[in-house]
Amino acid sequence: MKNRFTMQPRKHEGTKNRKTFSFSYFRLFVVAFVLVVVVARADGQDLSVLPIARDGQVLISFELSDGLTEDVRDAIQSGLPTTFSYELELRRGTATWFDRTIAAVTITATVRFDNLTRRYQMSRTLDGRLEDARPTEDQDAVRRWMTRFEHVPLSTTSALEANGEYYVRVRAHTPPRNTWFFWPWGRDWVLGRAKFTFIP
Amino acid sequence: MPATVTSITPRRSSRQGRPPQSVPRRPFRDNPRLILAGIGALVAVLVAILAVANRTPRFSPDFLTEFVLYALSAADLTMLVALVFVLARNIVKLVVEGRRARPFARFRAKLVALLLGMTLVPAVLVLAVGSELIRTSVERWFNAPMDEILTSANQIAGDYYHERQMLVSDHAKRIARALAAVNLGNPDVRPIRDLLAPDVTLQRVQMVEVYRVGPASGSLPGLEPVIDVAAPALPPGYSRAAADRLAAQALTGSSDTRSIETLGSSGDLLHAAAVIRAKDGRATGVVVATDYLTGDLALRSRRMTQAFEDYNQLRVLKRPLAGVYLSFFLMVTLLILVGATWMGLYLAKRITRPVQMLAAAAREIGAGRLDQRVEPQSNDEFGSLVEAFNTMAGELATSRRKVERSTIELERKHIETEIRRRYTETILERIATGVVSVDAAGAITTINSAAARLLSLDRAIVGQPARAVFDRADLQPLGALLAGAGRAKTEPAAQEIAIPRQQQELHLAVVATALVADSGAPEGVVLVLDDVTPLIRAQKVAAWREVARRLAHEIKNPLTPIQLCAERLRRHFAGGPPAAKDLVDECAATIVGEVESLKDLVDEFSQFARMPAPRTVPADLGQLVADTLALYNGIFTDVRIEQRAGAGVPLVRLDAEQIRRVVINLVDNAIEAMERRGQIIVETQLDPPGGVVRLIVADNGPGIPPAEREKLFLPYYSTKRRGSGLGLAIVRRIIAEHGGSIDVGDNTPRGTRFTIELPC
Repeated sequence: MKNRFTMQPRKHEGTKNRKTFSFSYFRLFVVAFVLVVVVARADGQDLSVLPIARDGQVLISFELSDGLTEDVRDAIQSGLPTTFSYELELRRGTATWFDRTIAAVTITATVRFDNLTRRYQMSRTLDGRLEDARPTEDQDAVRRWMTRFEHVPLSTTSALEANGEYYVRVRAHTPPRNTWFFWPWGRDWVLGRAKFTFIP
Repeated sequence: MPATVTSITPRRSSRQGRPPQSVPRRPFRDNPRLILAGIGALVAVLVAILAVANRTPRFSPDFLTEFVLYALSAADLTMLVALVFVLARNIVKLVVEGRRARPFARFRAKLVALLLGMTLVPAVLVLAVGSELIRTSVERWFNAPMDEILTSANQIAGDYYHERQMLVSDHAKRIARALAAVNLGNPDVRPIRDLLAPDVTLQRVQMVEVYRVGPASGSLPGLEPVIDVAAPALPPGYSRAAADRLAAQALTGSSDTRSIETLGSSGDLLHAAAVIRAKDGRATGVVVATDYLTGDLALRSRRMTQAFEDYNQLRVLKRPLAGVYLSFFLMVTLLILVGATWMGLYLAKRITRPVQMLAAAAREIGAGRLDQRVEPQSNDEFGSLVEAFNTMAGELATSRRKVERSTIELERKHIETEIRRRYTETILERIATGVVSVDAAGAITTINSAAARLLSLDRAIVGQPARAVFDRADLQPLGALLAGAGRAKTEPAAQEIAIPRQQQELHLAVVATALVADSGAPEGVVLVLDDVTPLIRAQKVAAWREVARRLAHEIKNPLTPIQLCAERLRRHFAGGPPAAKDLVDECAATIVGEVESLKDLVDEFSQFARMPAPRTVPADLGQLVADTLALYNGIFTDVRIEQRAGAGVPLVRLDAEQIRRVVINLVDNAIEAMERRGQIIVETQLDPPGGVVRLIVADNGPGIPPAEREKLFLPYYSTKRRGSGLGLAIVRRIIAEHGGSIDVGDNTPRGTRFTIELPC
């Protein structure tokens, strides 16, 4: 599925100095990433994260494999509005204190199945703002809509220090949950992480 | 029947205008209003829970599973923790109280266990059965017939919609093919209307909208509406927006060329779009065909689908929803359990606490804190018991205060007695009179230092039998006197007793007094000893002085006539025969010589008898001694006289002439004793503790036997061939009249040592 989904980072330190890049003024960044993709696994779900710096922006692509579990599919097919929420954070580790968050965005993907028309109504929001909405009858399109995101802009590279070690953490919440009634505080999120070194 | 133990504090006078002290707050367990409020809150919570549970069907499953379930679980856990805490705390308390053997601890434990058992067992049973019922009920929501019915209904509705959409889509495609040969750009749209009218008239579709491709706007081609033909059955109020969007979407080549527009209660519009293409395949326009589903049909279809979806949503959220209901049930059970537990503990405490209070107060009173009281708060039998207890405690406190006052008085008297006793002991210790007391059993109970010194006894004899102590040879007269006094029991027995002490005689005036109690019972004997040796000596000296005075008077008077007669005889016979003359001369010379000797003797006697009182002035004793010893320089070549002047000897009040005579007398005696060959040391010393200055005259002569030392100072006692024997008697008298004393002892390594002590 082609992603026409465009986003801007919600907050980052270099927003005021952000520049619009074009090919004529394109400065060639030699971007070398040392990627160590750390994939957290929960209930057989994997969240792979791939950060990339391009055109002065840190773009994040991630995919939640096996995100549409049997329970989730049943919930969707039952007509329940089902929303996956992803919290993206660009962070820098510190040895002596909590890691510093440079930029963060929250993306939600929602789908609702109309059993009468047999169509799925899908939508995506970025930090609560509706970004896209469309209908479909294709279940595979629903799966991709809910679990695959490409080139989500998280921050500008001006917020990064040269040769700095950073990592991107993505936390995915995939309700509904089938928890035991007496202790509903089960882990309902999947965590993905990718480290990189920013070399301009 | 609550009661509290309070400690009575002394009443203090409060200042004028000072606000009274606030009454201490009663604890929760003793405050009925708070208890009622707590019960009311518990009931309110229960009602609220039931109300929320009753409204759960109106809540969305999401809300129930994402919010209500969490809240209920948190509340359940909190109450469970509270229940476990309350139970554990009270179990531990009961165990501790049982081990400490607190009163009513076992009874309280049994009572709490009984109440808990009565509540816990049914509650757990109800919880188990109820949970199973809920689980079974939830399972029964989902069964095969219901599945089949709802699925089929949903399938029918969906299929109907789908079929109608496909039909509309087919009409749209057919019309698009029919319009392929029509010039959509022609302003005259009557041919198009004629073409579309049969479809609408025959109600194959309810509305047809035709668009032609216009000039491009941006990168996409634009669409311009050409004509729309609608059946009169269409409800008013629909818009073209949905058809416009669908046409534009179809023109872009999207496969999604159908849409459903809901008009609320009026029904649904089913749109289908088809692209009008020319023979060369170029898109010249778009046809949007619309069918209309009436409100009833759409509503029924929606209801069928809604029922299916609700059913399936319940199935999806079956576990969380069952959890919600189980949580409600568990919460009610826990509330009942917490309430029952608390109530059981409260009742047990209410029943046993007053008794414990009484026991605690009794322990406090037993420990001596008599101001403890139990505050009664009821008028029942227990209130009477508490009142009796408080009365008893008050009487105990009164008695205790009386005893304390008596004790203080006794202590004061004891202190006075002790002071008096110490005063008496001090007097006994300080006086020169010896005191020895013997109890009725014959054991020595007291001996003061003077008695110990006079009798040469160790004070450790206290407690020993007096008979054994006074059985010593020199003390036997005392023992006899003591025995006699013990038998007499009436008048004190007085006696003068001489005790040999260091080759001398110690004269003691002893009075033995029997001690008799008021009842007449014998309590022992007390001996009072006075050293009368100096008195005896003084009496002897006075007697000798009287003898000397009379001797001098009686003897001196006839001596002169005797001497004159002898002289007359010699002169008378001076012219007589030689034989007679020689005899008379010899006899007269003898008589005159002896008379002279008698005169000297009488002079000395007179001097001894009429010695004047000393005229003392402060004088340097060392200088006086030096001046006196200077008289001996060069006289006795074989006698070495050495003076040793002690350091710090102050001026002493003395009669220099008399002391010089003392020194000369002692030195002369020493020279005579050494037969004019030897060494004499005259030393002066200061004895600050004794407050005396010592004058010591020591020689290395043959010494004086101890048996003769006492007699040395008696008049007319002399070891010399000639002499009156008054020298040392005069010395002793001079020293005595100076307030001092003289003693004689052995010198080291040999010789005699006279020691004179003069007050300074």
